[in-house]
Amino acid sequence: MKQLVRSQGLGAIIGVAVMLAAFTLIDFSGWWTIQTLANVTQFTAILAFVAIGQALVIMTREIDLSVGSVYGLAGVAFITLEPALGVPGSFLVAMAMAAFVGVLQGVAVVKGQLPSMIVTLGGLFAVRGVIYVWTGGAIHNFSADARLHPLTRLFGGELLGIEAAIFWLVFVAGLLSVVLWRMPFGNRLLATGGSRESAESRGVRTDRVKIWAFVLCSLLAGFAGILTLCNQPQTHVTLGENMELEAIAAAVIGGCLLSGGRGSILGAILGALIVVSFRYELIALGAPSSWYITFVGAVLIVAVIFNQKLARFLGHSV
Amino acid sequence: MKIRTPVLLSALAAAAIFIGGAAHAQDSEKEYRFVMVSHIGSNDPNMNWLTMSLAEFEKKYPNVKTEYISTNNYSVQEHVRLLEQAISTQPDGIAVPIVSSDAFEGPLRRAIEAGIPVVAFNIADGRPEGERIPYLTYVGGDEYLTGKKLGEYAVAQAEAGEIPKPTRIVCASHDSAHQGLKARCAGMKEVMEAAGAKFDELFIGAEPATARNTLQSFLQANPDTNYIFTVAGWSSPWAWGVANDMKLDPDVDDKGVTVLTVDEGPVSIEGVRAGHVLATNSQGFWLQGYAPMEWLYWNKEFGYAPQSDILTGPVIITKDNADKWAELVRGVFGDKAYDEQNTW
Repeated sequence: MKQLVRSQGLGAIIGVAVMLAAFTLIDFSGWWTIQTLANVTQFTAILAFVAIGQALVIMTREIDLSVGSVYGLAGVAFITLEPALGVPGSFLVAMAMAAFVGVLQGVAVVKGQLPSMIVTLGGLFAVRGVIYVWTGGAIHNFSADARLHPLTRLFGGELLGIEAAIFWLVFVAGLLSVVLWRMPFGNRLLATGGSRESAESRGVRTDRVKIWAFVLCSLLAGFAGILTLCNQPQTHVTLGENMELEAIAAAVIGGCLLSGGRGSILGAILGALIVVSFRYELIALGAPSSWYITFVGAVLIVAVIFNQKLARFLGHSV
Repeated sequence: MKIRTPVLLSALAAAAIFIGGAAHAQDSEKEYRFVMVSHIGSNDPNMNWLTMSLAEFEKKYPNVKTEYISTNNYSVQEHVRLLEQAISTQPDGIAVPIVSSDAFEGPLRRAIEAGIPVVAFNIADGRPEGERIPYLTYVGGDEYLTGKKLGEYAVAQAEAGEIPKPTRIVCASHDSAHQGLKARCAGMKEVMEAAGAKFDELFIGAEPATARNTLQSFLQANPDTNYIFTVAGWSSPWAWGVANDMKLDPDVDDKGVTVLTVDEGPVSIEGVRAGHVLATNSQGFWLQGYAPMEWLYWNKEFGYAPQSDILTGPVIITKDNADKWAELVRGVFGDKAYDEQNTW
């Protein structure tokens, strides 16, 4: 509880509680069905991976706009390289490509003293361009053998009717929470975002921390892309388009402050849950689906105001 | 036929002016040079429809040289630049898609005023007749008819008992601002509402996971939906996959959900052949390369000018003719590319 308050995850928990109460009142029979919950949690898991990575970068007071393109690149690489390298080989190369983008952007931001918004905006376009040129506008199919490969099933199958992505999210989120709250790297990450000068005066190599944050962010986005395709391999060059905006929204709704130093893994997951749930419920209630983005914008603003007021109420400076 | 990239174009412009001049000098022999300034680059297999039809045209008209110019890094600005470079070479005719009426109006009006006949292909100037660019004619498909004819085929199949009668149809679109996609939905809507079905247009987006999530939400909230019309061929496997996951029996039979789509790409055609998709369409890509050249030729040779647009589609592709279409498309795309792009 203390950690949640410190990390602002509490605001996201309250947000989810309010949202669930509202959906229960408005659409009890539609919302509380196994199919609805399965739909929402599956897509929440995918977005949450990207949002967690984004949260890590935001905690260091940077931002990564390239995550949607990296998500797409890893997915495309995984499918395109599979005939030559097999499923394990293409998985490793796809993840290496994602990590490479992360390193490149991290180094450009840290060593080049460039704003991360500009560097990663360039990354967004450049990586998407690579996808277009590489694929020629058409993504390859994923062979029947590859779909049945044990690794594909491990990433894209299901257990007891629950999608593998959800298990992977629990595992990765748990691991990262331990890293963030129980290991020195977590302290360094938050210190880097909170006050760089102060962190450096205590011996924290803030440049390395930031580069690692970008690498982790790209790896998580790439992994999410591969999880998506292992589950449903039919895709398109648009894979991951605009996902960066949803991921940033989820991280911020989940309590991340763009001024750095605050945020949580759980908050990012709950932020993703709120974003995906709103999409579902708006459509279920018959609103035009293009309204969704309007509601995300409204929820984002309300969440930022609420999180700030909550933090001040609890005696934290924001 | 020549296929040119923009890198070479500038260097060739001066030479082409000379060649163009030479062609004019040889008017008595009636040699022509027509240029197709396309939005479809060599990274899109659909380019083959056009380049192969131009090659066929040259065989029939040996006194005509055709050139195909495009870019792989598409932007309207780049397209306009290519168009202006092509005009500067003084060709005997130009075929161009009107991707942006505003951006293309200036250069094309100047070309027409300079005596270069222009045929619009694939994309027409969408403005009223008096306001649009005064090109000879438009050769291409009709988006509204695409939706309408596919809908009419579905209703006929339903009346024959082959598929369920439509109760509610969702038109799943990946671009809420694309007028062509809206027109496809509108054509389908007219037929389906006349058949007594409810109709919804759903913006699913182009991102696969988001699109599936959105469509699944819609189908759960509207369980009476039994037809899904995807206005892009590549999104048809997503729609089928969502319905299949929800155990809605999306294959083509007399129960469950029925999926319709568009385009003559491998995904659409193989969807029909596999029994996942009821029907798709072709907008007659090959003719969109060949027919503009013929009209330019006839215009130069005899002064012919068609008095209306020339529609090359839609041609409805169903289980009855899908095998022939698969053979045709394989010939254009090549076996390897065709098989790779079949994502079912």
